[in-house]
Amino acid sequence: MKKKLVSILLCAAMISTVLVGCGSKEAADQATDETTEESAADTAEPADDTAQAAGTGKVYYLNFKPEVAEIWEELAELYTKETGVEVKVVTAASGTYEQTLKSEIAKTDAPTLFQINGPVGYQSWKEYCLDLSDTDLYSWMIDKNLAVSTDEGVFGIPYVVEGYGIIYNDAIMRNYFALEDKAVDISSAEEIKNFETLKAVVEDMTAHKEDLGIEGVFASTSLTPGEDWRWQTHLANLPVYYEYKDKGISDTDTLEFTYSDNFKNIFDLYLNNSCTAPTMLASKTVEDSMAELALGKAAMVQNGNWGWGDIADVDGNTIAEEDVKFMPIYIGVEGEETQGLCTGTENFFSINSKASPEDQAASVAFVEWLFSSDTGKDYVTNKLGFITPFSTFEEDEKPSDPLAKEVLRYMEDSSLTSVAWNFTSFPSQTFKDNFGAALLEYAQGSMTWDDVKNTVVEQWAAEKAAIAE
Amino acid sequence: MKTRKVIRILLFLLLTVLSVLFLAPVFIVFMNSFKGKFYISDTPFEFPNGETFVGISNYINGIAKTGFLNAFGWSLFITVCSVAVILLFTSMTAWYITRVKTKATSFLYYFFVFSMIVPFQMVMFTMSKVANMLHLDNPAGIIIIYLGFGSGLSVFMFSGFVKSIPTDIEEAAMIDGCNPLQTFFKVVLPILKPTAITVAILNAMWIWNDYLLPSLVIGTEYRTIPVAVQYLIGGYGSKDMGAMMALLVLAIVPIVIFYLTCQKHIIEGVVAGAVKG
Amino acid sequence: MERTLKKYFAVFTVPTIIAFTISFVIPFFMGVYLSFCEFTTVVDAEFAGLSNYVKAFSNMDFLNALWFTAKFAVIAVVSINLFAFLLAILLTRKIKGTNIFRTVFFMPNLIGGIVLGYIWQLVINGVLAKYEMTMFADAKYGFWGLVILMNWQLIGYMMIIYIAGIQNVPGELIDAARVDGANPLQVLKNVTIPMVMPSITICLFLTVSNSFKLFDQNLALTGGAPSRKTAMLALDIFDTFYGRIGFEGVGQAKAVVFFILVAVIALSQLALTRRKEVEN
Repeated sequence: MKKKLVSILLCAAMISTVLVGCGSKEAADQATDETTEESAADTAEPADDTAQAAGTGKVYYLNFKPEVAEIWEELAELYTKETGVEVKVVTAASGTYEQTLKSEIAKTDAPTLFQINGPVGYQSWKEYCLDLSDTDLYSWMIDKNLAVSTDEGVFGIPYVVEGYGIIYNDAIMRNYFALEDKAVDISSAEEIKNFETLKAVVEDMTAHKEDLGIEGVFASTSLTPGEDWRWQTHLANLPVYYEYKDKGISDTDTLEFTYSDNFKNIFDLYLNNSCTAPTMLASKTVEDSMAELALGKAAMVQNGNWGWGDIADVDGNTIAEEDVKFMPIYIGVEGEETQGLCTGTENFFSINSKASPEDQAASVAFVEWLFSSDTGKDYVTNKLGFITPFSTFEEDEKPSDPLAKEVLRYMEDSSLTSVAWNFTSFPSQTFKDNFGAALLEYAQGSMTWDDVKNTVVEQWAAEKAAIAE
Repeated sequence: MKTRKVIRILLFLLLTVLSVLFLAPVFIVFMNSFKGKFYISDTPFEFPNGETFVGISNYINGIAKTGFLNAFGWSLFITVCSVAVILLFTSMTAWYITRVKTKATSFLYYFFVFSMIVPFQMVMFTMSKVANMLHLDNPAGIIIIYLGFGSGLSVFMFSGFVKSIPTDIEEAAMIDGCNPLQTFFKVVLPILKPTAITVAILNAMWIWNDYLLPSLVIGTEYRTIPVAVQYLIGGYGSKDMGAMMALLVLAIVPIVIFYLTCQKHIIEGVVAGAVKG
Repeated sequence: MERTLKKYFAVFTVPTIIAFTISFVIPFFMGVYLSFCEFTTVVDAEFAGLSNYVKAFSNMDFLNALWFTAKFAVIAVVSINLFAFLLAILLTRKIKGTNIFRTVFFMPNLIGGIVLGYIWQLVINGVLAKYEMTMFADAKYGFWGLVILMNWQLIGYMMIIYIAGIQNVPGELIDAARVDGANPLQVLKNVTIPMVMPSITICLFLTVSNSFKLFDQNLALTGGAPSRKTAMLALDIFDTFYGRIGFEGVGQAKAVVFFILVAVIALSQLALTRRKEVEN
């Protein structure tokens, strides 16, 4: 029973560690209220909405996640079949969402439903964001603080909570810890609690890679342009998180990159203990890295719970579901023993305020159907694998894939502090691309770390200034 | 005499080697289209073997992911219709502005010629906006865009040829009571046939392979083949090298078939087009 | 006749003119105007003077692209024309299989730029993989990759034009030169080359303009990587327009500069080679 209560709470607690204290009681009350209310109403109500919208409005959704593009298309078809409302899904290529949205939103048939990545994204798109405070979707949110809102209203509603860290294959780790001549004195991967231990284990594993039957400890650090977001966004989040924390801020015009050496530590560890030579990384993709883990060529890979599909879909994968585990990304910061996974969201739904009222209503009805009808929820939970922040999802309607379960496990552990997704405050895609290009050059040996650091500091300031202009 | 013969054989061998080199990239892509996606980028020069051979699954995958069959259809539709429209209207325009000499027609002529040297980037942004505002952002509307963009070269080429034909026949037809339209279709157009073939081939090659214009004007909703190929790279997060190879093969095959069947016209057309252009 | 025909102005020219106006005339003038404005869509333009041009020329990526394009154009134009001309000479010597060779050499020209780019990406990365490297290791690989790609694509095309030119050289002229005691090299230099000067003009024109405007191949082969060092002008302009919010005006200004550059090069080159033809 206690566990159940905690799980209901955790949706609220998981992102903003700051807000837990005051928000949880309320959120819990609300959650229980609404689940009973809504579950009775949700079969009837969305159907009403859609009936109204049918025939008049249509939905055009610009999807952010290429890896689930096909599922969104299926959903659109299904919804059209069920309600007669036309739903068009267009997917932007990886790393090009902002640019696609920019060209699409200026068209006469602009997206009616799109997403922003948080308060920074809202600044770019505020002219196009409709106030969503009267929607059911907003009322279903367990922790209303997570929405992008201003005094004027609610403009972005998060629809998925995700976590990332280092995914490892516990079977290989057990083999390692069973070795007689291992150089460390811990006996399981769960005992790795800081960078120092991680480094010792990883380097010793590299020395034993033949015994372990792996080609490298870490899967390829994919640095192909467009495939480098795991480093220039996700890994980069950690030093930024700690810098913000030290300064007590949540955004800045000038990043000092004080934890640049920590970034270098972990990044070097990835590069030097990998199954791919650093000079070959520009030909590797995220999918390649996930396949390396799935096929047992590598023992660890940095990625998030959205990557489960990339592991499960590989033909001939050798990794057992129960051996897929998460470990926080340790970068050698004081007190990181209590650091959890990086959890948060950069996926906020917004409705185009310049679309016709019919299209707006149809779009709202579509997302409400998605997060409240049985079919919609089934897709969200089982095919998209989303952990949602909505009260319409019951305890047994949480994704059951091993990575999602791991994310939930970490979030429930009150002794750990999750790392917030501060990368939503990164200045622009251009900043990330330039950072990624610098990392590639560093990996190939054509750029020194000092130059990478300078690039980050300069580009951050320049891009923040360009946006403020 | 003997050394000459040796030289000829050596030259023949040299050309054979060069031909093999020219064909090799296409062959390598073909070979890799039967390998599993994780075995392509590291070892592209190895033949598929027991471990890496995946049959035609890359083809099935690539076709499904990009809607290649539709893309082929749209490419064909847009190319054929645009070329037909271009041939009809620009030949009429060219005949008119060559035969009727006024300030307006010579201004028009120079404006058409001028448009040939303007790079596409100069107008791409504004053009795609105009196309969107006029609802030309679909496979039918893009034909009008292609007529506009193709008119520079086509008018120029038709005009060049019209200048070289004597006006006697046309005048005779008019005297016999044909109105200008009849004259054009019954007398002028048949004479223009060789140039029309050249114009058709040059425009078809351009439109079939064009990537930027359809991707900006239509986007990815109705994909042409080049847009579909690019979509495979960007649209699905990670690139699937196997599907990519299969798609490249599928994109090349129609061109090769077309080329081998109409080789004579294509080569003549290209030469004629170049000499005038 | 002219008088009757004049009345048919609408029938004969209006469809073309409308299409031409929509897709070229309006966008062209709008483009020139917008290069002096700040805008995100075309309807919210505000006059901004020369600031876009200032930003364009103070942008390192643009200057780098300019230099990269110039270098590329010089090397590509020289190599393509040299190889194409040599092949044309070989293929006009009645060697067995000439037709098949011609067919093979011309074929790559028909394949679209996007497809070509990905074909060569595979091949070049495959070769470099033997040295544990990729094309993105250094801008020079992307540069030479583009040069090889363009050679592969355009040699056949230029060769066809040269063949047509060489075949038009009257046999008597060559015979006469031989009788006068000229060796084959002298015949080439003093008879063949001057006689095929028109073909050379055309080929130079085509290769220069193709090299300068190169986009699809660049996008597919390297996409500008590493660090935008292999982006040519057309790609840089595209990225400025669509890659960043608030830079549309700068992109349009770059496009105008690009247009002027292409126009000046094309016209001066035509004038120059045409004059040479006359002299000969």
